[in-house]
Amino acid sequence: MITKGKRFLGIVPLLVAIAANPEIHAQQSSESAKAVQIIGLPGVKENAKGTLTVENGNLHFVRNGGVSDISAASIQAVVAGIDSQKAVGKTVGAMSMAAPYGGGRFLSLFRKKIDTLTVEYRDADGALHGVIFTMPSGKAESVKKDLLVAGAHTKATADQSTTREPTTRSSCTEVKQ
Amino acid sequence: MKNCGLVRTFLSLSAFFVASVAVNAANDRPTDFKPHAIQVLTIQTDEISVPEEFQVALYENLIHQLEKRGFQHVYRDGDRSASGASNLVVLHCTVRRFKAGNEMARQVITVAGATSISIHCQFTNEAGQSLLEQDVTGNVRFFGGNLRATYDFAKKASKIAYKNFLATSGSNRQYKTN
Repeated sequence: MITKGKRFLGIVPLLVAIAANPEIHAQQSSESAKAVQIIGLPGVKENAKGTLTVENGNLHFVRNGGVSDISAASIQAVVAGIDSQKAVGKTVGAMSMAAPYGGGRFLSLFRKKIDTLTVEYRDADGALHGVIFTMPSGKAESVKKDLLVAGAHTKATADQSTTREPTTRSSCTEVKQ
Repeated sequence: MKNCGLVRTFLSLSAFFVASVAVNAANDRPTDFKPHAIQVLTIQTDEISVPEEFQVALYENLIHQLEKRGFQHVYRDGDRSASGASNLVVLHCTVRRFKAGNEMARQVITVAGATSISIHCQFTNEAGQSLLEQDVTGNVRFFGGNLRATYDFAKKASKIAYKNFLATSGSNRQYKTN
């Protein structure tokens, strides 16, 4: 009994360490990420929420109404970036603009970081499509890496950071052809 | 009897007015070129650095807005099926000026942080002959994210395309306001 208890006590710090390690969390969540499709997917409404995964060489976007797939091989550019959005948005954010003493403006100061993932691909006819996703901070890079492994291409955009607002920068530098 | 004369005069005048308007409308048509299809090429950013998401949003919004305006076919860049289209208008867009802006500054200070993008639009025929050239700007001054400037640009550019090619050709009158 005592040896079992010692073993259990030995495992507890390990479990705590795993739970506290953000890298391990990131690796687990890189398989699927909650995302918002801003624009571009055929047949999907703007600002549609769903889950983004890379499986079997395809980029899957699963939403309430169905699934959209993009073949990684057809992707000719995938760029991950960082942006920010209002922490209090949508209806409450709009209503807060009417709050007295600049309350709405004060709320606008609170912002949360988000990642953007921009994908350019060509369909069977060779037509160019572009899709923009936003997702929680730290997710876009892992999705992008998964796409590159699956055969997607990317392009160097190191000079983009010069034109962006301070909270926004491009994090894509490598070129894979 | 006096009233009958007045009515006759009124009817003849109104008929003359309607006929003159119809004749003028016919004369306003610049050419016999009646496009049914438009192809949007990739947004060029020759000397100006524009974030990738802006380029994609410009391109996609432009295609969506042109479809809403009533073009029978809106072809994308590289679409092989566009080669068989008759009376095709090709839209070339080149970014001339870009100011990223700042959404937070817009919402807090109101008069600062506007996002602005100016794009030179050139409409050509299939042979590459220029039909129309115009600079179009997209702005966000008060509400909305930075990417809303691309929507503003797309609405204005599609309106120009509609006025100059669809409305004058009379081939399609199903104008949609939004």
